[in-house]
Amino acid sequence: MNSHSASQGELPSVLTARNVKKSFHVAEREIEVLHGVDFTLHPGEILALTGPSGAGKSTLLHILGLLDRPTTGSVSLDERNAWELPNEERARLRNRKIGFVFQFYHLISELTALENVLLPAMVGEATGEYRKNRSRHESAARGMLTNFGLAERLTHRPAQLSGGERQRVALARALLYDPPIVIADEPTGNLDRATGERVLELLFREQAERKFSLLFVTHDERLAVRCQRQMVMVDGLVHSNAAV
Amino acid sequence: MFRSFLSWRYLLHRRTNLIGIVGVMLGVGALILILSIMTGFLEQTRASVRGTLADFFIRPAPLMEGGDPSVPYEPDRVLEIVRKVPGVRAATPQYSWYGMLAPGGPDTANATEIITRPMDSQQNAIELVGIDVESEFATTGFDDALTQAAMRGTHVADPKDPFARPRGYRPDGLEHPRIVLGDALYGRLRVHRGDELTFLTVVFDPESKTLVGSNKTFIVAGSFRTKDNDVDARRAYVERHVLADFLRTDARYSDVLVMLDDFERDGVRVREELKQKLVAEKLLDGQPAEIISWEEMRSVLLGAIRNERVLMAIMLSLILVVACFSIFAILSMMVTEKRRDIGVLTALGATPRGVMQLFLMIAFWDALVGAVIGAILGTWLAIEIDPFEKWLSKTFHVQIFDRSIYYFDEIPSVVEPLWVAVIVLGAFACALSFAAIPAWRAARMDPLEALRYE
Repeated sequence: MNSHSASQGELPSVLTARNVKKSFHVAEREIEVLHGVDFTLHPGEILALTGPSGAGKSTLLHILGLLDRPTTGSVSLDERNAWELPNEERARLRNRKIGFVFQFYHLISELTALENVLLPAMVGEATGEYRKNRSRHESAARGMLTNFGLAERLTHRPAQLSGGERQRVALARALLYDPPIVIADEPTGNLDRATGERVLELLFREQAERKFSLLFVTHDERLAVRCQRQMVMVDGLVHSNAAV
Repeated sequence: MFRSFLSWRYLLHRRTNLIGIVGVMLGVGALILILSIMTGFLEQTRASVRGTLADFFIRPAPLMEGGDPSVPYEPDRVLEIVRKVPGVRAATPQYSWYGMLAPGGPDTANATEIITRPMDSQQNAIELVGIDVESEFATTGFDDALTQAAMRGTHVADPKDPFARPRGYRPDGLEHPRIVLGDALYGRLRVHRGDELTFLTVVFDPESKTLVGSNKTFIVAGSFRTKDNDVDARRAYVERHVLADFLRTDARYSDVLVMLDDFERDGVRVREELKQKLVAEKLLDGQPAEIISWEEMRSVLLGAIRNERVLMAIMLSLILVVACFSIFAILSMMVTEKRRDIGVLTALGATPRGVMQLFLMIAFWDALVGAVIGAILGTWLAIEIDPFEKWLSKTFHVQIFDRSIYYFDEIPSVVEPLWVAVIVLGAFACALSFAAIPAWRAARMDPLEALRYE
């Protein structure tokens, strides 16, 4: 197994990273967390990114999610190097092309479940545009929440929802714009086993229906083996990268 | 879209935001109220002092120190020129002289007491003004002053002829000329209509070329009341020719008072024209002090009120600054608290600029809600201040506004829409300036740390 190359050149990709390095300055010392990672995510693929704590998974995830700039290397989405784009365009890519599901759900506590799901549209569209599309977005959000078993919870705030319900709302939020990529950072890490299983079932079901590329970061070996490919990171390098 | 929606939600769900809103509301309301009252005071005072003054006072050259002695001592030529200037409604000559008044006749004990009473020692000096009744009525508000409700005095028998012999007065020998006293002066001297008064002064004796004491007896014809307490306490009117004959000076007048059709509109032009024409006729030397406006005459009083208004505005602006500082403090806390939300919004596609605008919008709502309520409350209170003060005084048994001190019976208040707009805009500018610092911090915040952990 090639520890650096994750390229499968003959297949198209939706997200590519080349020779990504990331360093942090800690007390006047430079610590390199990623030592040159290559990464490719293919359309409709389910990829598990695993590895021990401190291996650089989250750092890579944030770089791939266009939330953090690599020290060197490139991240391409839609054949464009995202970090060469202006701030606004990169934000738009995050908004339209990537859906995030976090371990701790990260819902906005002041908004209802429905409003939380609508948030990507509110962020991505100007007031006039949003008003024009509002009924369409609302109907999509309602449909998804109903589909996820939350029809009775539309107007509830996060504090009134259970962990599983919150994660389902977060999943609906990630899927509002039907993005080609969904990045899930330990999506079941904060849930009990049964609840986590139900959320995963939902995620896999939606992936099968919508055919988005799904990138998991997980410690859960049982989840990893359910993915099509598993990428193991150790000490800031891709240790193994193979189909499951 | 999320900026206005989410900022409004943050505002509603965080009660501490109310502190900022209430602060802005109080600041805006108090500023509008106080500025309206101070403007009301200024307007009322202007109206009060103007009521007894003409628009311009002309002091011709012969009457000024070092003036041209060839200038006529009678006011006729000055009046003729002044009355021909377009925009001049009326003009009248006056002759002012200072001295003391004492009740005459048999009650010398009373006169001695009044003149020597220590508490009145500064009020004994009065201004005796000689006027021409007909032109005076046309120029100043003296005819109104004669018919104002008297507080301590008594009206003259005939307001159209104020120096007519009082009813019931029977001259005992020599018939003395009449004097009309200010309302407060009338009360202080404890006189009645028909009583004798002696005017004591010092005049220049052309024969001996020295200053000599002189006195003249007048008969009290009645009182007048202006809205200016100072005038009512220190001024008395007689006929100009009587005063000039008594003083035996060369000049038969000291001032020419000019009233315009519209002072605000024509004041500057008429003043310049008057100056040019009177200087050309050698009736004026061209010195600035020769023509002064009523505002300059009362510049100290009006300037003091204007200064007070500015000082009050500055002091009350501090409430706004404190309110905006509380907005700054609340937003700073909020930025720290909402770090996770900032991370989520960034992940969902918000730019740093969008995040900054989100927090600026919270300050915007604070300012909008606070300023609008404050403006409405402040304007309403400014309009209703008099009944409100009466209600407060009655409810708490405390006299808040002592009406006996002022020339007016109601608390004056003038709401200037421009001021209201400036105050509201100022509140916005202040709130947004203070909010800019935490909003900028929010925009620069690294959202990743917050996304990693709960």
